[in-house]
Amino acid sequence: MNPISIAASLLGLVALATVLGLVWRRGQGRITTPSDVRLIAPSSLGLESWAPGVTLLQFSSPLCSPCKTTNVVLSALAAAQDSVSHVDIDISERPELATLFNIAQTPTTFILDRDGALRARIGGAVKRDTVIAELDSILVAA
Amino acid sequence: MTANPSSSVRTRASVFIDPRSPRFGAGITAVLLLIVIGLSLADTQTATLAQRATAPGFLLFVAVTALFAWGASAGVQRHPYGAIFRRFITPRLGPPAEREDSAAPTFAQGVGFVITLVGLILHLAGVPWALVIAASAAFIAAFLNSVFAYCLGCQMYLLLVRVRHARGAAS
Repeated sequence: MNPISIAASLLGLVALATVLGLVWRRGQGRITTPSDVRLIAPSSLGLESWAPGVTLLQFSSPLCSPCKTTNVVLSALAAAQDSVSHVDIDISERPELATLFNIAQTPTTFILDRDGALRARIGGAVKRDTVIAELDSILVAA
Repeated sequence: MTANPSSSVRTRASVFIDPRSPRFGAGITAVLLLIVIGLSLADTQTATLAQRATAPGFLLFVAVTALFAWGASAGVQRHPYGAIFRRFITPRLGPPAEREDSAAPTFAQGVGFVITLVGLILHLAGVPWALVIAASAAFIAAFLNSVFAYCLGCQMYLLLVRVRHARGAAS
């Protein structure tokens, strides 16, 4: 290859990696609301009941730094409100849950109302304001 | 309240490091891999094993692979790039706002090692483009890690768990 084609190839590779990174970053912390109602039984996660307001159900894995930051944000939100609870599940101990809930990355956070209906899911590290907005909308409606 | 039904699984001692250190190292790795790719694309003498094994791009690629092996086996906290970071960069940046478990970046080093090792072997075996493709894949991972703080452990690990679980369910 001549030097110009080599330089073009290297630039193309850097551009490709940049686009991939931008797409990945845009998806991080984005909230999606499922169109159909899905009820999750607390027993399926080894719990007795859901919180009276909202349960923040977090799925984590051992080799995941953003899981720890997400844990800090969500547990602080749960500590601030009596009707909100936070559950952090290690997916390496319950691998079947990854398949059951179609979890592709950690952290993944489910926002469940008091009936266990999946109201929203967030892939990647959560943004505090996004979670608060969703919490408020569920708690006000309840 | 916070409940954790499956309490901490960590059994081996974890070391907490400055999260900027592995990102700095990944930046150096990304630049080295770009040089590897450039040198390999410029190289036309790949007919014999001796030519392939002594090409400058290949030799640099061997060094990158060895550094991945070092990071994966000794732990990222003992990687030479970490020592450079602590010696020259930390004094200029000040202490980090938070620290991260070294297990995640160490896992990423292992993934990098596997990718580069496969490329290295296939290149020696004479598979065309093996070195360039493996180096490009490793470059993308290192670049994303360095520039975007992409977490390889968050995605790859879950993939491994799911594949293992699917295989266990099938058999």
